[in-house]
Amino acid sequence: MTLLEVQALDAFYGDFQALFGVTVAVAAGETVALIGANGAGKTTFLKCLVGLMDAKRGDISFAGQAIAGQPAERISRLGLSLVPEGRLLFPSLTVEENLLMGGLNQRPGSWTLARVYELFPMLGERRRQKPDQLSGGQQHMVAIGRALMSNPKLLLCDEISLGLAPLVVDQIYESLGRIRAEGASIVLVEQDVKRAAGAADRVYCLLKGRVTLQGPARGISLDQLSRAYFGA
Amino acid sequence: MIWLETIINGVLYGGLYGLLGVGLALIVGVMRVVNLSHGEFIVLSAFLGVSLTGVVPWMHPLALLVPVALIAFMLGFGLQAVLINRVVTRPDPFAAILLTFGVAVVMRNLMVEIYGADPRNLPAGRLAHASAGIAGLHIGVLPLLILGLSVVLFTGLQLILTRTRFGRIVRATADHRDVVRLMGVNPGRVYNVVMGLSLALASIAGMLLAIRSSFTPYSGVERLLVAFEVVVLGGLGTFWGAMLGGITLGVAELVGLKLDPNAGPLYAHLLFLVGVLMRPNGLFRVRT
Repeated sequence: MTLLEVQALDAFYGDFQALFGVTVAVAAGETVALIGANGAGKTTFLKCLVGLMDAKRGDISFAGQAIAGQPAERISRLGLSLVPEGRLLFPSLTVEENLLMGGLNQRPGSWTLARVYELFPMLGERRRQKPDQLSGGQQHMVAIGRALMSNPKLLLCDEISLGLAPLVVDQIYESLGRIRAEGASIVLVEQDVKRAAGAADRVYCLLKGRVTLQGPARGISLDQLSRAYFGA
Repeated sequence: MIWLETIINGVLYGGLYGLLGVGLALIVGVMRVVNLSHGEFIVLSAFLGVSLTGVVPWMHPLALLVPVALIAFMLGFGLQAVLINRVVTRPDPFAAILLTFGVAVVMRNLMVEIYGADPRNLPAGRLAHASAGIAGLHIGVLPLLILGLSVVLFTGLQLILTRTRFGRIVRATADHRDVVRLMGVNPGRVYNVVMGLSLALASIAGMLLAIRSSFTPYSGVERLLVAFEVVVLGGLGTFWGAMLGGITLGVAELVGLKLDPNAGPLYAHLLFLVGVLMRPNGLFRVRT
């Protein structure tokens, strides 16, 4: 069953066109990787999905509902959750308050504050600390936990490995495995091609706003990927 | 002894100044908007108090604080929802400044139309001049009440912001207006309530101030100045800092008046100037 269907999406920043006819589909239970260099349009794509940006043309359908152009507040109730690029935690709030904010629009499901602390025990110890007292990896955990608290059907992760030590990234990606096991579908936006392709069922590659490659993660060679990533 | 009394009375009135400023500090902290009509709403609430006194003359002005605050809340909510929310998302602060400046001008002239330009004040009977003998000092009863009320309101505001779900939403919206939308929060609706709160607090200060000093439709600028000084002196966006800033100014004004009865608020403003020159980020950097 197709959970998310994006058809021929065009997006603009003023006069600058950032996305050209992007077509992406995510099936329920799938993990899809969206890779590409800086500026390829990955974050723009995610912003259009969650309603933080207005797509000029194209259709976006989530769980059977047309959501293109809807305000972010309304889309958030449908089960779409974003871990933003750069985490964007609330600096005035404690770890626990950040997580509770994520649970504001809680849909029925298995993710609760207690389960998030189970997934990330380090956060439980630091629940009353402010984000600036946490390490980068821990901040990523808070950002992921915050997105999980609403029990999303589809979790969008924007560069969750950025700026982290490999061991920490291992931990984060391991938690993704458990999130997947609970039934969530995931879109992984990454610059780290191997990580993302390794964790995903299918891969899309974006270059300068266009989809240059798509297919099952196992079936694509590194050579093909690199050509699609950098442009032949 | 006289000096001690003066200083204590200054501290007590300082609570009032703090109250004048905390509403402004709230909206600067939450939505980065400077409401140039804050002073006019302070004066309007005093006029509303006068009108209500005419309607229910048997009620003491202090009892009218609640209905006036409620009216001010609704006015603030409406102002934000209809006007200010249209400019709050723009990156440069000028639109909001110009808009609220315009609102101030309109309000000032409306008040002259409706109430006339004569100086008024809110009669509070013997309360305005009553003083209690405490430990051999003469402390004004009204200033004591004002300080008590200020502390209660400040504490209440802090508790709302730090201990309630709504307060959490306000702080999160102040941090990242776009990210809260991902959690189903409409920032505009949050701002409506915050602006309502801001003006409700200002209205209480306005009524209390009107008991002590007379006012005209043009007094708004003076009140805005005090509110500004309190906010800047305390450190933009902090609350207890605003309270302490208010107290500093209150003491400076009363001590100054004792030294030089014709000075008016000069010494308070001088102190502000010196304070800002020495510590531009505010005298009291108290994290909210």
